Amino acid sequence: MQPRVVTLNVNGRQHRVALAPNVTLLQALRDLGYTDVKSGCEKGDCGACAVLLDGKAINSCLVLAWQAEGAEIVTDAGLGTMDNPHPIQEAFADAGAAQCGYCTPGMIISAKVLLDRNLHPTEDEIREAISGNLCRCTGYGQIIKAIQMAAERMQDAGSRMQEAGSKETGGER
Amino acid sequence: MLPEFRLLMPQTLSEALDMLAAGAPKVVPLAGGTNLIVDLRGGRHRPSVLMNIAGLDELRGIRREDGHLVVGGGVTIAELLDNPLIAQYAPVLREAAAVFANPLIRNRATIGGNLVDGSPAANTAPPLLVLDAEVELASKAGTRRVPLDDFLVGVRQTLRQPEELLTAVRWPVPPPHSAAAFYKVGLRKSDAISVAGVAVMVACDEDGRCEQARIALGAVAPRVIRARAAEEMLCRQPLTDETIAEAARLSAEATRCIDDIRGSAAYRKRVVEVLVRRLLDEGVGSME
Amino acid sequence: MKYKAKPLPPVELPELRIVGKPLRRVDALGKTVGATVYAGDFSMPNMLYAKVFRSSEPSARIKWLDVSRARELPGVACVLTAEDLPDARLVTDMPGQTGQKRRAGSDAPVLAADRVRFAGEPIALVAAERLDIAERALELIEIEYEPLPGVFDPLEALKPGAPVVYEPDNIVARWKIRKGDVEAGFAVADTIVENTFRVPFVDHVYLEPEAGVAWVDERNVINIRVCTQVVEHFRSIARAVGVPHNKIHIQGTMLGGGFGGKEDITVEIFLALLTKHTRRPVRLAYTREESIQAHSKRHPFIITHRTGVKKNGRITAAEIRMVSNSGAYPYLSPYVLLYATGASCGPYRVDNLHVDSVSVATNNPFTSAFRGFGAAQAAVAYEQQMDEIAKALNLDPLEVRRVNYMKTGSRNATGQEIKSAIWLEETATRVLEALGEKTPDHGAIKVGQGFASYMQSYGRITWFHDTSRAWVGVELDGSVVIRCGVPDLGAGQVNSLCQIGAEVLGVGLEDMTIYSTDSALTPLAGTTTATRQLYMSGNAVFQAASRVREVLLDRASKYFEEAPEDLDMADGKVFVKLPPPAPPTRRGEGEPEKSLPLSELAAMCAAEGLPLSNLYLFRAPFTAALDPENLQGDVFPDFTFGAHAVEVAVDTETGEITLLKSVACHDVGRAINPAAVEGQIQGGSAQGLGYALMEEVQVKDGVIQTPSLSEYLIPTSRDVPITKAIILESGTGVGPFGAKGIGEPALTPAAPAVANAVANAIGVRIHDLPLTPERVLAAVDRAGGDKETG
Repeated sequence: MQPRVVTLNVNGRQHRVALAPNVTLLQALRDLGYTDVKSGCEKGDCGACAVLLDGKAINSCLVLAWQAEGAEIVTDAGLGTMDNPHPIQEAFADAGAAQCGYCTPGMIISAKVLLDRNLHPTEDEIREAISGNLCRCTGYGQIIKAIQMAAERMQDAGSRMQEAGSKETGGER
Repeated sequence: MLPEFRLLMPQTLSEALDMLAAGAPKVVPLAGGTNLIVDLRGGRHRPSVLMNIAGLDELRGIRREDGHLVVGGGVTIAELLDNPLIAQYAPVLREAAAVFANPLIRNRATIGGNLVDGSPAANTAPPLLVLDAEVELASKAGTRRVPLDDFLVGVRQTLRQPEELLTAVRWPVPPPHSAAAFYKVGLRKSDAISVAGVAVMVACDEDGRCEQARIALGAVAPRVIRARAAEEMLCRQPLTDETIAEAARLSAEATRCIDDIRGSAAYRKRVVEVLVRRLLDEGVGSME
Repeated sequence: MKYKAKPLPPVELPELRIVGKPLRRVDALGKTVGATVYAGDFSMPNMLYAKVFRSSEPSARIKWLDVSRARELPGVACVLTAEDLPDARLVTDMPGQTGQKRRAGSDAPVLAADRVRFAGEPIALVAAERLDIAERALELIEIEYEPLPGVFDPLEALKPGAPVVYEPDNIVARWKIRKGDVEAGFAVADTIVENTFRVPFVDHVYLEPEAGVAWVDERNVINIRVCTQVVEHFRSIARAVGVPHNKIHIQGTMLGGGFGGKEDITVEIFLALLTKHTRRPVRLAYTREESIQAHSKRHPFIITHRTGVKKNGRITAAEIRMVSNSGAYPYLSPYVLLYATGASCGPYRVDNLHVDSVSVATNNPFTSAFRGFGAAQAAVAYEQQMDEIAKALNLDPLEVRRVNYMKTGSRNATGQEIKSAIWLEETATRVLEALGEKTPDHGAIKVGQGFASYMQSYGRITWFHDTSRAWVGVELDGSVVIRCGVPDLGAGQVNSLCQIGAEVLGVGLEDMTIYSTDSALTPLAGTTTATRQLYMSGNAVFQAASRVREVLLDRASKYFEEAPEDLDMADGKVFVKLPPPAPPTRRGEGEPEKSLPLSELAAMCAAEGLPLSNLYLFRAPFTAALDPENLQGDVFPDFTFGAHAVEVAVDTETGEITLLKSVACHDVGRAINPAAVEGQIQGGSAQGLGYALMEEVQVKDGVIQTPSLSEYLIPTSRDVPITKAIILESGTGVGPFGAKGIGEPALTPAAPAVANAVANAIGVRIHDLPLTPERVLAAVDRAGGDKETG
């Protein structure tokens, strides 16, 4: 079994690393230092390892690292930082949605794909979007509230940007 | 860690088929990995060579062609769920896609993978059976089409030969006066392996008599099966409470369930009868 | 039946600045941006990877064990078996344990030598250069077992002639209560109701499987960075490894969930042994399957209630038998049984009470602590029994409870007088009122409503002489440090301490930094278990901060030439309070302020050698151990009371249950952070709802049949409604600011509420959890049968 040098594009950074074919994307990411990607079950039952692969939320434990070459990989840590958190990360923090925090990175990935598609999700749509992410601490209540809060804040930010844009063009649309 | 294997990375379908021809039976195709990676990790499978087909464009795409819907084997369950052609021409398949595992799995699991895995609980099989689907199997030697009902042989056994890939699934656009529906019972509301999964399709003539009925039962036999006796009984009959109840009873008779950690055979059999009845009622209701 | 919330007695709770506010927790942002480092996220240079070789047999003699091929595999640094360990025993008894004789031979061995008693028992340890090499090494270990007859059912294990799991017999613990005169009580009963309830093995399913890294440093100290609920295990670890106590250093990490499953030692001793033998850092991380196999489970219980009642529902006598399944080793079984025994009759006045409880060894996975710790299992039984009594008497379920509820000043089953508020009727009426009108049945769907009241202790058993320590100090720039050994399971343990410290010292939450969970560098605060941390460490922080505050105000009073009582601290300043009517914590407009930044005051104190910090040791009440032949006396510092109500829809043809509504109401004394309290209530409820509907570690002849999260199911976002959390604050708790505890209480009433709702929906009781669709259909059949036979 021969390792091969693959290039993984993670959170905008290129990593060239020699990997055996049987290394999962989860392992490769964690070995590269992306320990925000969590291992909860290694078989797609829990969603803790969720990352974006070309914009789709997937379980990184079920993807081989070689399969992810050439794709754009985004982890929770790639969405924002302590100094500059993403609105979803901020909303999760404000709403108390992270208790032990172990499900949180994967949960935020699922929330991101939902909100990228739909900034006015119903509660049912939120539940569906996170139905692959198990949480044992919160009962999902404050997670749902956090996603609703993030949606509202992102809507406001969007409309403020639109207003700013239209002001620049003298109010013409 | 997963066991060791070589991983082939073909760039085109043709290259993939060449690799399969050269390496069969040792080469195992890997698409979404949602079953295969789990099997590898659990030691159920120790292939020495895997072949990645997850990126092959030729296996993608959903189109309408010659009165048929054609879905590439590499189409993901999420793509089925979002696709307008599926919504319009195969809502029963969409229903199954909606309760297939969870959104993260759906983004990787493929329709081809679901079928070649040959699990008796495969979610896409009951709807595809009532849609009278065929699978397209391609190899270097050529392409053949096999009715899905023949393709599924037993527990994790299908007619796919080691040098073949399931490149497409196709079915005729359902007739106008027809309706189909799917329901599965699991032990929780999401991400649950079926305890029993049923799909039903009925087509009626102008007098309300059943022209065609198809009933497919999942997780209640070594493979997903059609309840033929029930279907024959319904044919050319008006769809009344009595005939529907009888069809449901015959469907339950057709099961060959086992007891396992999710439920007893007796329970599964009983639930099949309930689901068939309800889905037939629903089908009749939606046609009125 | 329409319910109205019972009005609360008037409570005057002081308005506070930081405590009582749903502030963003200090640990929140690190978690959401993925910066928080958990035990398995940590690496050391030159690190080895460990794996544990475990028994596949539930009951066997090890005929021979050959690890030579594993040792010889290139890349394997070390393989350890029982032969290599001096006398390594895993001591599983609580410190200061009492009454129950510790049975010789009942401690679990660190590694099995000649005998295995459960499938999954550890036999050998491997450390290798890479994880895949360690895994390969496991495959090269050769073993031959001689299976021995095993016993898997606790009732079978009690019978004479049953295989003995470990000498002298299968009885791990017994407790009794003999209170009043049950014969006389039954004699005057109008009706006697008897039921037996069963609850299964349950897994904690914390999202973070057990993990840690250990290394030996230049002082020969074995450092273990690990997720644990107890840093004080360093003593037991030292003993097992054969080093002095001061050579084990536990660096506890933020846990990805605990729930009692990380209360016992998990990976620590394995890590310490491997690093000691190899002198290299070692990482051990369990897979999920290994976690399910290797760590403790919630005790299955068989609980029989026989209750005599008057026509109006008043209980005249209760006879309760409890059998718990201890599994292969005792761990905390005696104490879980104690809690269950004390809680057995529920929050009701029962003057004539006879309880016999026994914990029994079997060749099953071992059982130990899990949120609720026996009192949760007891509630599943007593609350269903109350509803059955209501049914037998044709009374409203709330009414039956009302005539029996304890009140402040009542004595519980062990005769302990409860001095804090007992808001049972207040909480029950609130959840019932919030539940509202029942959704109508439709077709085959029958809708039911049910509720449960409960009592749950907080704080540890008082004869353990529990203590906690905290150090609080003000830095010269006015920022504040807390040092406290408290482990944080994710419920906001460290954040609560910061809010308390900030409140007392008049700074913002953002000015607090806490260093925690280190057995050497932070004052020991005891276990994060038994819903004790807010009570114990919260009080310790409150007291430590208050002493610092005293020093500061004393110095400031000289500076301002005002009495200390006329000063206050807020917004990072010390200031002279305005005379009434201005509120004491706000400066008035236009008034020149007499204030001083905290940093300047701190600098002043430092220059004069005044102490800017305090280390406080908080003691819970110290009482004497009770007689196991009749548990009468004080056991706990205090109790939390509340209720949970649910509405369920039952499909009477498929047996599927859908939760429509869920409401919980708890008197938490004082909510330090209401958002965190709400989060605990919603999360604990979800665990309880899962317990009711879908969670069971199925074990057949000692072998787990539900090895992963595909088979062992916990609720997803589609399975549980958001539990509406109604938080009441009586201010009567013994925690800081009158707080009680909520961690375990949040779970306790949920499962019985669901069971009661399902019984209400289908008209017949299912006596065993979980309420699977199959059990529901069997019950529906019974209900139909009952109707037919009139």
